Amino acid sequence: MYRRALTALQRFTLRLDVGMNRVYPTDWNPLYYTGGLTNLFLFILVLSGIFIFFYYVPSLVGAHASIVYLTEQVPYGGLIRGIHRYSADAFIVAALLHLFRNWFTDRYLFSRDSPWISGMFLLLFGGFAGVTGYIMVWDERGLALLGIFDGLLRSIPAAGTKLAEWLVGAAGVGEGTLPRILLLHVGPASLLYVLLWWHYVRLRHPKIWPPATWVLVSLGLVTLLAALLPVTSGIPATPGARPSTMPLDVFFLLPFWLAGVVPPFLVVLLVAGLFVAGLVIPYINRESPAEMGVRQPGVAQVIDGNCTGCELCYYDCPYNAIIMVPSPYPGLTRAAASRKLLAVVLDSRCIQCGICIGACPFEALELPGMLESDVTRRVEEAVRAAETVPA
Amino acid sequence: MSSASGASAQAWSPKVVGFVCDWAVATGDLTDERGRLTSHPSVVLIRVPCSGFIRPAWLEDALKAGADAVFVVGCPYGDCLNREGNYLMRERVDQLQRRLQRRKVEPERLSMLAHGLHDREAFLGEIAALLERLRQIGPASKGAAPARRAAAAPAEGS
Ligand code: SF4
Ligand code: SF4
Repeated sequence: MYRRALTALQRFTLRLDVGMNRVYPTDWNPLYYTGGLTNLFLFILVLSGIFIFFYYVPSLVGAHASIVYLTEQVPYGGLIRGIHRYSADAFIVAALLHLFRNWFTDRYLFSRDSPWISGMFLLLFGGFAGVTGYIMVWDERGLALLGIFDGLLRSIPAAGTKLAEWLVGAAGVGEGTLPRILLLHVGPASLLYVLLWWHYVRLRHPKIWPPATWVLVSLGLVTLLAALLPVTSGIPATPGARPSTMPLDVFFLLPFWLAGVVPPFLVVLLVAGLFVAGLVIPYINRESPAEMGVRQPGVAQVIDGNCTGCELCYYDCPYNAIIMVPSPYPGLTRAAASRKLLAVVLDSRCIQCGICIGACPFEALELPGMLESDVTRRVEEAVRAAETVPA
Repeated sequence: MSSASGASAQAWSPKVVGFVCDWAVATGDLTDERGRLTSHPSVVLIRVPCSGFIRPAWLEDALKAGADAVFVVGCPYGDCLNREGNYLMRERVDQLQRRLQRRKVEPERLSMLAHGLHDREAFLGEIAALLERLRQIGPASKGAAPARRAAAAPAEGS
């Protein structure tokens, strides 16, 4: 069932790619750059966030006023606030596209689980930073959100009260609250960069940025949105009062809307369940590569005597699985005799793709399951087969 | 070089060796047990773990062994399962093409294609077009085929 659905979704994703490739040259297909776009929006968020940070006052009376001041008095303040808001939405959309795309095209399996797992944490902390961002505005919605969040945390048995106190402060909503929320906004946002290191550590030349055209288009899009649909500040929060309206942001606040419909603890369970399900996706229903019909030619092996330390394999391995170490002894061939470096394959990182084999001009790398001699034999067989064409 | 062009051109089937990435276009039911395409039996496919696995020297080997052309099939650019394999291979193919051209080997004899898992019609169409072009330029002349292995001149390599 799960597998059949995934196969269908994979077909759909690939069809979408083919369609998109008709519109854009393949090097530009935005669907190939969902990760880069996410990172771009995060970068826009950081820059605009720093600007907003200069004006934000984390106090009960000052918070909303400072946001209004920023929006109405500071030159371009409203625009930058809008950019911050809309690129947050774009960030979540791009991140989800990235997630689904890599899920449906099997790019999370086997040794590629570490980008997947770190991606789940990125999504969790990104979403959390979004929620605290809404609270920081400290309008009626922000206060209501804080209330619901508090309720959600308190519904957790045993640890709930403690968690809620960490969120709003032990004394309840008071002067201590907004500095905490500010920290809980900036902290997770900074943590995203630590997680991104984990996300990228096994990737060589990760596509961190989309092509320049898409950078400009995305930047233009959020700016245009911010100019055409300016972000407005709601009614300032008065603790204790009931909110009159609660505009819903589908990208961040869905669980909060849900909390009004079902018991809070169910919402907590749902969010936690989704997160855990995300974490186990790479490991459930797992067929071995052999069962999936995937060739396993074995971890690449360096033919020590031939390696000249030219570093070409090191640059081309897409998974950072090759490191160059100072050569402990000279190589055996003439080209390798005066080498300074030696290539070493890290078994745990190698996914057996063989790209380093194609990169090495000195025949110093082999895949155990598909040796160079196997390939040359097969080439000869192929030419002979082509000559003996059946009538 | 143009010995085969003419009236009998249609009868001649160029010998072509194709390296196909395991993750690119699915060809399981397109070939016989020796890897020959059923629709164009003079085209023989060799499956490899990734298009980036291919050493340019092997492409030269195939030409040297008597193939009229070789090609590599990777996934669409930007969509390599291993992220970079097809870009790297495209660069290597370009380099080798330039090198071969200096030895008067026509660029048609070496090509890099990109077709996703379900793109078999586009793939077969491109093969048919390739065969047509090869019929026009005729079989590879023995003299023009590279006489030495790439590994002997590594500085030139990719
Ligand atoms: S086969 Fe080579 S290129 Fe591929 S992951 Fe292993 S070391 Fe890297
Ligand atoms: S490409 Fe080959 S010769 Fe160069 S460092 Fe890697 S293994 Fe050694």
